[in-house]
Amino acid sequence: MEIEIQAGTEAGVPAPETAQERTVGTTLLEVSDLAVEFRTDDGTVRAVDGLSYRVEAGRTLALVGESGCGKSVSSLAVMGLLPATAHVVAGQVRYRGDDLLAMPRTRHRAHCGRHVAMVFQDALAALNPVHTVGYQLTESLRARAGMSRRESRRRAVELLDLVKVPNAAQRIDEYPHQFSGGMRQRVMIASALAMDPDVLIADEPTTALDVTVQAQVMRLLAEIQAERQMGLVLITHDLGVVAGVADDVTVMYAGRAVERSAVRDLYAAPAHPYTRSLLRSVPRLGTRDDGHDDAHDGARRGRLPVVPGRPPSPGHVPSGCPFHPRCDMARDVCATDRPPLAEVAAGRSSACHFADELLGGDRG
Amino acid sequence: MAEEGPKDDVVLEVRDLAKSYPVRSGVVLKRTVGQVQAVDGVSLTLRRGRTLGLVGESGSGKSTLARVLVGIEKPTRGTVLVDGEDVSTMSRAARRELRRSVQMVFQDPYTSLNPRMSVGDIVAEPFRIHPDAVPAGGRRQAVAELLELVGLDPDHVNRYPHQFSGGQRQRIGIARALAVKPRVLVCDEPVSALDVSVQGQVINLLADLQDELGLSYLFIAHDLAVVRHIADEVAVMYLGRVVEQGVDRDVYDASGHPYTRALLSAVPVPDPAAQADDEVLLLDGDPPSPADPPSGCRFHTRCWLARQLASGTGPEAADAVETDGGPRVPRRCATDDPVLVPLGRHDAHAAACHFVGAATAVSAARRPDPATVPDPATVPDPRGS
Ligand SMILES: Nc1ncnc2c1ncn2[C@@H]1O[C@H](COP(=O)(O)OP(=O)(O)OP(=O)(O)O)[C@@H](O)[C@H]1O
Ligand SMILES: Nc1ncnc2c1ncn2[C@@H]1O[C@H](COP(=O)(O)OP(=O)(O)O)[C@@H](O)[C@H]1O
Ligand code: SF4
Ligand code: SF4
Ligand SMILES: [Mg+2]
Ligand SMILES: [Mg+2]
Repeated sequence: MEIEIQAGTEAGVPAPETAQERTVGTTLLEVSDLAVEFRTDDGTVRAVDGLSYRVEAGRTLALVGESGCGKSVSSLAVMGLLPATAHVVAGQVRYRGDDLLAMPRTRHRAHCGRHVAMVFQDALAALNPVHTVGYQLTESLRARAGMSRRESRRRAVELLDLVKVPNAAQRIDEYPHQFSGGMRQRVMIASALAMDPDVLIADEPTTALDVTVQAQVMRLLAEIQAERQMGLVLITHDLGVVAGVADDVTVMYAGRAVERSAVRDLYAAPAHPYTRSLLRSVPRLGTRDDGHDDAHDGARRGRLPVVPGRPPSPGHVPSGCPFHPRCDMARDVCATDRPPLAEVAAGRSSACHFADELLGGDRG
Repeated sequence: MAEEGPKDDVVLEVRDLAKSYPVRSGVVLKRTVGQVQAVDGVSLTLRRGRTLGLVGESGSGKSTLARVLVGIEKPTRGTVLVDGEDVSTMSRAARRELRRSVQMVFQDPYTSLNPRMSVGDIVAEPFRIHPDAVPAGGRRQAVAELLELVGLDPDHVNRYPHQFSGGQRQRIGIARALAVKPRVLVCDEPVSALDVSVQGQVINLLADLQDELGLSYLFIAHDLAVVRHIADEVAVMYLGRVVEQGVDRDVYDASGHPYTRALLSAVPVPDPAAQADDEVLLLDGDPPSPADPPSGCRFHTRCWLARQLASGTGPEAADAVETDGGPRVPRRCATDDPVLVPLGRHDAHAAACHFVGAATAVSAARRPDPATVPDPATVPDPRGS
């Protein structure tokens, strides 16, 4: 079944009273200089350090980086859902101009519940195994939208249809264990879409899934984003996954943005050595990088390109450029001077002393 | 590498292997109401010093096959041969020796290591089951060497799993598997839970260890791109069956089965232009339940080629049938179970499809023309307008 959905006008459901027009390019969410610290046994550590990004209606932003670089923590800060040991120490999060962080926490969360929704990284485990999928969807609709039982059930079926769960009207009465991983992720997306949010943040929505299901879920998110002109933030560690769906990419390292580019620019020529390494590490179909393509000759294949070592943990971020111990372009200055995130080409920023070399400048 | 006869080259072989589990219903008195055919008639050959990649979607039976191979579970039917010897007819002592020589690396480095055991104890654990692998006095030294071998600091032997990253934990899992000097490693999705940036580190480590120790690998993954980097031969599984197998180059560049082609199309390409041109999603929905596999060709409910043939102008279209709730497909697809048939170039290349010819013909361009693949779920172009 094909359902046409216009922002805020789904059949039978009143448009949320505060729904506003989404014109492509309108800034919906703006994160500026966000810094988040954790209190740990070893003292206070900074997990997010001066992160800025902007989410526009009708556009998809990919937030990319290795495990531990602060993708989830920064998103939880945006949502007002940081754990008790964490606090925002600097920065603003503006939703349509209003600073969410300046609001009391309850109002911040209520605002997000309505306009900025998130699919959490461990979403697959988040469904309660003792309740049916329908119960979990309708309870949240009744609580959040004040719908009646009937109304919420109809809406829940609609939402499951929207995320292409086959036979939604029947499957709504099944339990989470009767759903595959991909179908459970669709349910979580449906739940996040319940209030027709302006912005959807999806934290590694496909990391636990097969490539085939990953492709389906990515396509689904892209479709819904386009139909509703939402702002979509896709969080991932895999640059391969977002190439086809993102408009803009922010690459994070050790709690900071190190590159910001439009998707085509970034894949054509990364402006930061870390981005380049991440891109090279994506396994590709066409190549075996080894000049050895006959499996009968017994020759050994070459090595896959990797990012050597591993990312620093908060509290142990190296001096100078945080990436310098792993960077194949590092020089003396990199160990001492921290490169700021600066514009290196029209619409592109990079935090590397030698970005112009990467972009084909003729220095060095 | 020395030329060896094709037979003594084979270190592990399975013939017509099947494993089914009872499906039970009821809470108190569980009654068996059916069988899940997790693995249903699989034959594979693993050669010394080589890597066989095993690919398929979730639920296709990869882990079940792995568990049978390492002896965690008994097959329902079929034979496992190690060095040409049938495992089921071996003496107990010989079977123990076999268990030692075939070890497993598990999928999830976060849950497969006991959080309360130190790294040293984890790596030494297999010595308890196989005490004769290394004499008691030499085990500390052996553990230190194993950690060194997989690129970990031997001084970290007293640390606990939570003090390591995912990639490092997977190295610990590999060290543990190598402790009793196996000849075969069954690696069940060893990199699926890791960041892409770290996947390459683990794959490179496995390749180095293979060179150094002459190991043979069965390498399981759901991503054909990952497998391409390590496998010499590839087998593709769907609902408990192998639907295509062959050397790496044949399976990737001249795939004969529509399912293989669909898996290839799902591999994310790190190139926005390529993805925009190539917005084809060949596989829709989930695989059907192996407790109730479809009639005829098990893939017919999701097969793009069958749908294409049924809506074309050829003789298959005239003879097409409506399947219950499913798409229209050529009659043979709905009624006859295709067997693996050899395909041209190398005799090792085989696929199980009634229309392999048609599949390979479209295969010239690696992925089929989107216009010829009707798929109701993919009608609206997500990037459009
Ligand atoms: N102990 C069991 N009892 C009942 N059914 C089982 C059991 N183990 C596996 N199955 C079923 O057998 C089928 C194959 O499972 P298996 O775990 O081998 O798949 P897989 O290919 O490894 O999938 P994945 O990619 O999810 O790891 C599945 O349908 C699964 O539900
Ligand atoms: N509850 C916590 N206490 C202390 N440190 C934490 C906590 N949660 C996350 N961190 C640290 O913050 C950093 C960023 O974490 P996270 O945002 O989850 O990374 P990502 O989502 O990019 O993988 C990590 O190094 C992590 O160890
Ligand atoms: S500043 Fe130096 S170390 Fe940092 S990314 Fe650029 S070249 Fe590498
Ligand atoms: S036999 Fe028919 S259904 Fe099966 S793979 Fe071939 S074309 Fe598809
Ligand atoms: Mg995270
Ligand atoms: Mg498995």
